[in-house]
Amino acid sequence: MHPALQGIITILVGVGGCVGYFYFSNQFIDKVLFPARGENAGRNINRANMVRPWLFLLPALLALGLYLAYPVIETLRLSLTERSTLPDGSTAYAWAGADNYRQMLNEPKFWEALRNNAMWLAVVPALATAFGLLAAQLTDRIKWGNIAKSLIFMPMAISFVGAAVIFKLVYDMRPIEQEQIGILNALYLNFGGEAPIAWLTVPFWNNFFLMAVLVWIQTGFAMVILSAALRGIPEETIEAAIVDGANPFQVFFRIKVPQIKGTIMVVWTTITIVVLKVFDIVFAMTNGQWETQVLANYMYDKLFRSNDWGVGSASAMVIMLLVTPILVWNVRNARNEMK
Amino acid sequence: MDIAGQKSSLSWAVHISVVLLVALWLFPTVGLLVSSFRTSDQISTSGWWKAMFPSQQNLTLRSDAPEMQVQEGDIYVIEGMLFPEGKDAEISVWGVSSRAIDSFTAGDTAPLSKGGEVTVLANGQYRMENTEPFDGTRGTRIFVTATTPPEFTLRNYQNVLFDPANSEGMAKAFINTLTVTIPATIIPIVIAAFAAYALAWMEFPGRALLIAAIVGLLVVPLQLALIPLLKLHNEIGIGKGYLGAWLAHTGFGLPLAIYLLRNYMVGLPRDIIENARVDGATEFQIFVKIILPLSFPALASFAIFQFLWTWNDLLVALVFLIDSTGDTTVMTKQIVELLGTRGGNWEILATSAFVSIAVPLMVFFAMQKYLVRGLLAGSVK
Amino acid sequence: MKHLLLAGAASMALTASLAHAEQVTVFGPWLGPDQENVEVVLAAFAAASGHDVRYVGSDSFEQQILVDAEAGSAANVSVFPQPGLAADMASRGFLTPLADGTADWVRENYAAGQSWVDLGTYAGADGADSLYGLFYKVDLKSLVWYSPENFEDAGYDVPDTMEDLIALSDQIVADGGTPWCIGLGSGGATGWPATDWVEDLLLRTQTPDVYDGWVSNEIPFNDPRIVAAIDEFGVFAGNNDYVAGGAGAVASTDFRDSPKGLFSSPPQCYMHRQASFIPAFFPEGTSVGEDADFFYFPAFAGKDLGKPVLGAGTVWAITNDSPAAHELIAYLETPEANEIWMALGGFLTPHKGVDTSVFGDPTLAKMNDILLNATTFRFDGSDLMPGGVGAGAFWTGMVDYAGGQSAQDTADAIQSAWDALK
Repeated sequence: MHPALQGIITILVGVGGCVGYFYFSNQFIDKVLFPARGENAGRNINRANMVRPWLFLLPALLALGLYLAYPVIETLRLSLTERSTLPDGSTAYAWAGADNYRQMLNEPKFWEALRNNAMWLAVVPALATAFGLLAAQLTDRIKWGNIAKSLIFMPMAISFVGAAVIFKLVYDMRPIEQEQIGILNALYLNFGGEAPIAWLTVPFWNNFFLMAVLVWIQTGFAMVILSAALRGIPEETIEAAIVDGANPFQVFFRIKVPQIKGTIMVVWTTITIVVLKVFDIVFAMTNGQWETQVLANYMYDKLFRSNDWGVGSASAMVIMLLVTPILVWNVRNARNEMK
Repeated sequence: MDIAGQKSSLSWAVHISVVLLVALWLFPTVGLLVSSFRTSDQISTSGWWKAMFPSQQNLTLRSDAPEMQVQEGDIYVIEGMLFPEGKDAEISVWGVSSRAIDSFTAGDTAPLSKGGEVTVLANGQYRMENTEPFDGTRGTRIFVTATTPPEFTLRNYQNVLFDPANSEGMAKAFINTLTVTIPATIIPIVIAAFAAYALAWMEFPGRALLIAAIVGLLVVPLQLALIPLLKLHNEIGIGKGYLGAWLAHTGFGLPLAIYLLRNYMVGLPRDIIENARVDGATEFQIFVKIILPLSFPALASFAIFQFLWTWNDLLVALVFLIDSTGDTTVMTKQIVELLGTRGGNWEILATSAFVSIAVPLMVFFAMQKYLVRGLLAGSVK
Repeated sequence: MKHLLLAGAASMALTASLAHAEQVTVFGPWLGPDQENVEVVLAAFAAASGHDVRYVGSDSFEQQILVDAEAGSAANVSVFPQPGLAADMASRGFLTPLADGTADWVRENYAAGQSWVDLGTYAGADGADSLYGLFYKVDLKSLVWYSPENFEDAGYDVPDTMEDLIALSDQIVADGGTPWCIGLGSGGATGWPATDWVEDLLLRTQTPDVYDGWVSNEIPFNDPRIVAAIDEFGVFAGNNDYVAGGAGAVASTDFRDSPKGLFSSPPQCYMHRQASFIPAFFPEGTSVGEDADFFYFPAFAGKDLGKPVLGAGTVWAITNDSPAAHELIAYLETPEANEIWMALGGFLTPHKGVDTSVFGDPTLAKMNDILLNATTFRFDGSDLMPGGVGAGAFWTGMVDYAGGQSAQDTADAIQSAWDALK
């Protein structure tokens, strides 16, 4: 059946199904199970109200459980097994203990990926937050600030793959006899470079050229949030500092930044999560070659090129491990907010 | 309010810095856009920043084949125009050997290695003369260095979008991406809205724990879910296809949806809800008639987020959707393929990339307000 | 009686044409010009059989086919550029054996038929050997492409020996030009052109049994003889003066773009070592045989190893069984199916029954002769190795080598990847 038709039917079924489910289940507990009349009216209403939240939550909990919670456990389990094909064609999963992890830790590509991820984690959130803060502060009071912010924010709407194409054009290299069509090489040659460089193939430095793409995208995000935070700083503190004779730089670093520290942390951690997930950029631009491998791409490689679900799952668990501190921090913050 | 007063030098510095910053952020995309309107010759010979200027190219052209020769008196002549129909270029220097492509200037006459001579004019007209008949089956190569005026064209877009023979066309991928995105945006909203309301306005034990769990799930990377879910989809028979992709996007998008919507709903005025309850409305009615309309900004925010996310997604499509019939490719995948096969053909690559980012950009500019609001919900402390 | 027979035949023909028209999906590695060519052949099959035939190509065929097979959504027929990968899939039960009698047919109708049967026979999930793949579209690899007119302009002669080839390269450098265009880029398959270089050079520096042992890993990848062959490749690709763009550009230039350097003004290079399918990627209007020609990648005169030839082919296998899939395989066995692509160019076949006058250009007839007259013929080694090496570690290893890694380190890394697969 034509996919568009399938899509429309899915929307109708999905939305209709959900609405129907909620409506009828509510009716059910209100009218049938715990009718609000008769002698037990009060108790029934209470019971209905105790059950109802779970009705509202059920589809969401099912989906979350199946698509996010179960995979965590299953990936952990898969990382401890070895997959093989039995003679009759079916697949068997044999217990392999820590073998997958041992194999993964022995692979130089894994350590390269881990090292690169560490670099990404150190550089991208810091740069994106810094640029975002700079942009937020600079565009704060000027008349055309909103337009400027819009334009800096725009890359967030572009897919990672689209950004990969955009930056591939920026980094393009032609042989020295021809004219350069990549702006980076054109500038490099203009300012005294001898020969054009294939930027993405230079070991170690190519990682930074890849990171530039993510910084380009995420700066807008940081800017929007930090801009709102800056606006939220009480005017009196700034005015008091100016009266005391502080210059704009001192006002910025000594007064404003400390007051929005919480928001800076939120921005930093959110971008960190994005960095750990980054797959598209490396996949599209270098596919892990020239020592640019990252964990997400390594995992995809293991899964689909080497068809090794065991090691693929093990590397996914490593990503999960790296993300856990942020998870704990976020959850703790959320619970503090509840109180 | 601003008691410091505006120092004009400082404000100039600020304006200039912002201009620089915006230019820095804008130029990569502009480069792509400009390139998509240029012809392939022009793109490969000059950078996009020189698009408005004439470009100089080294071309290898051929005269007509010897079978086109005519006899004028006792000499044999081949005469014609080197440039194809409609191409308007000016030759500065030219040559007849690949070793010396610039030995002659326009208007000169050069001897040919196989006998005879050739004259080439600046507009591309040439005349070959020989006392013996020209032999061979191919025309003679003439190497020219020509300056062509800037050329802009819509042909790239035509090829990419409409050309039916084009095996790399984006039209089908466009429809497919739309087909993936719309259900994957609508369904999570419906499920999340109900759940968010329960978490915001209903009292029940374990609520705090659930909220904390959802916050935790926000962080789980979707890589973790790929292998188990693919395995699950295979086992229950869905295999690869739209249904799998829709379910996956729903599952991955729910934590953010619930989080955003709940944060917003908590901020709704308590009295309206309490009054409605006192008036005897059921929870369901309160939800549909009061909460949903009031939550519209948050719903819009998430819808845009989810739309952009699913439209721009590559990994979920690669794993759960794209199969070998060629009917299920999405735009991001098409571009990755193009990067591999047509990495040197920037006119196709730039155009395709722009087609794929056009819709998200439109959505972005139209609905920016909601996107910003969504980002801010709960992020500012 | 005659009427009855005629009526019977007519009704059979009618029912045959009304017979259930199926959809046949074909998944292969070809995109661009090659994709258009294969679609012509498939359209002829569709017209003859009445089925609806769809072709999809992918630059990352090797990854995609595994995912699709796992998900049960593989195409009916898949075109494997590597028999090694097909063997992997057969051992996991993802392939369906070809119809009975196909093996005998190949033995009789293909030149060196037994080799083609052997290359398409793999062990299934139960361990038993069957013929799973039919070779259709064969490529010759030991070729060097050049522009005869450029050679004429510069006064160069086609070299007959490897020593002459290296001398010619030095001559070109001395004259101020660049002799070679080498490009390894190929999307998810980046690095494979370098494996062809290494295999060709191994055949020219060692005896064929060393090659066979290497392909089966009886001789380890980091054996000094193999490392020496990799270094031979480095003589060409690692020399900044020898390669257009310098040694650093080798790995990032797409293999489809690199031959264009032969035809640019001024020429970026004079020679390009590549297989017989590359004319599909020459600039439009290039007449193969006149504007572009090839010569045999020569052997060392001083080593007395004859004239070894490297070749490869795509093996068509059934990844999702259906009656129409078997019909497609049967169609490929006809001379007509071969002649259609022969006329389009860039196509060679071991089929002995084709009309060789149909070849799209005279060079193809020349190539087919090389194919049939080689003293030593070997199938592309990386295509025979298990998928994780031949379509994985060997490719990425060569990219690393082109980036400056030593041949020994490269060979060691590939060998350990091979060990990890066992």
